Amino acid sequence: MTAMNSLMAVGLPSLRAPESRPVRLPTPARPAALAGNWLATQGRLPLAFMGLGLAWLVAATALLVAQPTLLSLPHPHPRVVALTHAWVLGFFVTVACGAVYQLAPVALGTTLCNERHGWWHFGLHAVGVPGMVYSFWRGDLKLLGHFGFAVALGIVLFAVNTWRTVQRSGRRGTVVWSLTLAAGWLLTTVLVGLLLAANRYWQFIPIDPVALLRAHAHLGLVGFFVTLLQGVGFQLVPMFTLGEVRDWRLANIGLGLSQTGLLTLAPALLWHLAPLGLLGALAIAASMICSGIGLKRALDSRKKRALDPGTRSFLRGGAGGCTAAIAGIALVSPGSPWGSAPGGFNAMIYAILGLAGGLLPCIAGMMCKIVPFLTWMRAYGPRVGRGPTPAAGALTHPRIERWGLALQGIAVVPLLVGAWTLSELWLRIGAWLLAVGVALFVADMLGVLKHLWFVPAPVPAMKRGGSR
Amino acid sequence: MSATPDSTAVWDALRSIPDPEFGVNIVDLGLIYSVECTDGDIAVTMTLTTPSCPSGGWIYEGAKEALARLPGVKNVNVAMVFDPPWTPAMLSESAQRQLGRID
Repeated sequence: MTAMNSLMAVGLPSLRAPESRPVRLPTPARPAALAGNWLATQGRLPLAFMGLGLAWLVAATALLVAQPTLLSLPHPHPRVVALTHAWVLGFFVTVACGAVYQLAPVALGTTLCNERHGWWHFGLHAVGVPGMVYSFWRGDLKLLGHFGFAVALGIVLFAVNTWRTVQRSGRRGTVVWSLTLAAGWLLTTVLVGLLLAANRYWQFIPIDPVALLRAHAHLGLVGFFVTLLQGVGFQLVPMFTLGEVRDWRLANIGLGLSQTGLLTLAPALLWHLAPLGLLGALAIAASMICSGIGLKRALDSRKKRALDPGTRSFLRGGAGGCTAAIAGIALVSPGSPWGSAPGGFNAMIYAILGLAGGLLPCIAGMMCKIVPFLTWMRAYGPRVGRGPTPAAGALTHPRIERWGLALQGIAVVPLLVGAWTLSELWLRIGAWLLAVGVALFVADMLGVLKHLWFVPAPVPAMKRGGSR
Repeated sequence: MSATPDSTAVWDALRSIPDPEFGVNIVDLGLIYSVECTDGDIAVTMTLTTPSCPSGGWIYEGAKEALARLPGVKNVNVAMVFDPPWTPAMLSESAQRQLGRID
């Protein structure tokens, strides 16, 4: 039996489960020592994913600064696909997986089912994604298959780990369903991506590769990210603002509509069924609006009036996502002249709205909350009760954080103008604004992470007096 | 032999522990339900803002540690309860001011 399991046997997880009567936590010295060990190991895996995500944020931004005109090419171009995967699979998915490894046990009131599998996922992801981006850039489908297989294997471990953690917890509810479904959609997305690459190489299914690419993209964006954020938002926003979700109906309807919408939209994109695609897009937009209204009601009940930059950014991302969903409705409408051709209102505009205007502020906002908290847990958690400890938010530099997030948001405008008018100048301005915003954001995050290595003084041994 | 701590000393010790998210100490946050001191034995009943509070483990351990460090303490017993559940109505006036709830 591991130390963690021993700890569960003595009852520490009762901290995390609502009880109908008072629960006595272990008082003998040995469980207390075990508790310290268990707590000391918390957060390593999610922090590793956050660190890798930061590295990808820098790399993906550098790629955009070096080649901003990629945004004026048709979206199926291999180098555009490489850039997209650097951002989505490199930054967004890496951070989101790290967040799930942290949030799933918290939301489920248990520990992660298998942390070792989580580390295997980390290794496979760290090796596989750079290989995939390189393969896309070079247009090497065979190499892409090898690295894609590694990434898929990691995602299999992630999904199974999430599902088993959910199963072990025995919990149900909107947040649990969102975690379960999001893991399933991410796995589906990666498998469809592998199918797409294999079909380009061997051509064993007579299907339009661009249509399959669009279905693959929406499985990931709506299936993984929207589904995840629709659940996680209702867990995190009330927790960080001392608010409460009094009525879960809107959250449930939002989640249900996004699933129905995606199940309608993905086949419609694949087989060019415009009316069905419109229905799916409408359902997805409605789902995001429902979740948004539900979150606003939770926010209205908050006791912490001032919203910190991370929460603001998360909410701004939600609004950006809704805007992208509305743009998606226009794109998928029957008879719509807009498509893959560069210039004007096209799929690239929709992608910039969704990724830079929606997902980037959401994920960056989540990082602003999660990274300081995990760092606090590791650096200052053991000092609680033994000396003064700062608040997690005090580890950040608010002004740098605010400016970093703001510049990332402002950069969306010139990027949209550049992609619409095919103007290299506007694209360069947008890419550089984004780069400055990212540089400030990364500097702030590194300033937080340095507390892991530069803790002021060692913690003295726990005093043992009497039975505690 | 040192004097046994009174309830004021215990409340003060608990007041030294901040919640990492809000920066408000756990007494003003309303997390301490009761304190009993009898001949060096301390019994505290406390809660968390939410049962799934990720920093709950450290707050619980920190409360025990801070109390065990008080002079004259023989036994410390900290019970974590979730009934009644914590509500924002339990915030002290000072905490509400810190959180921007009241001027």
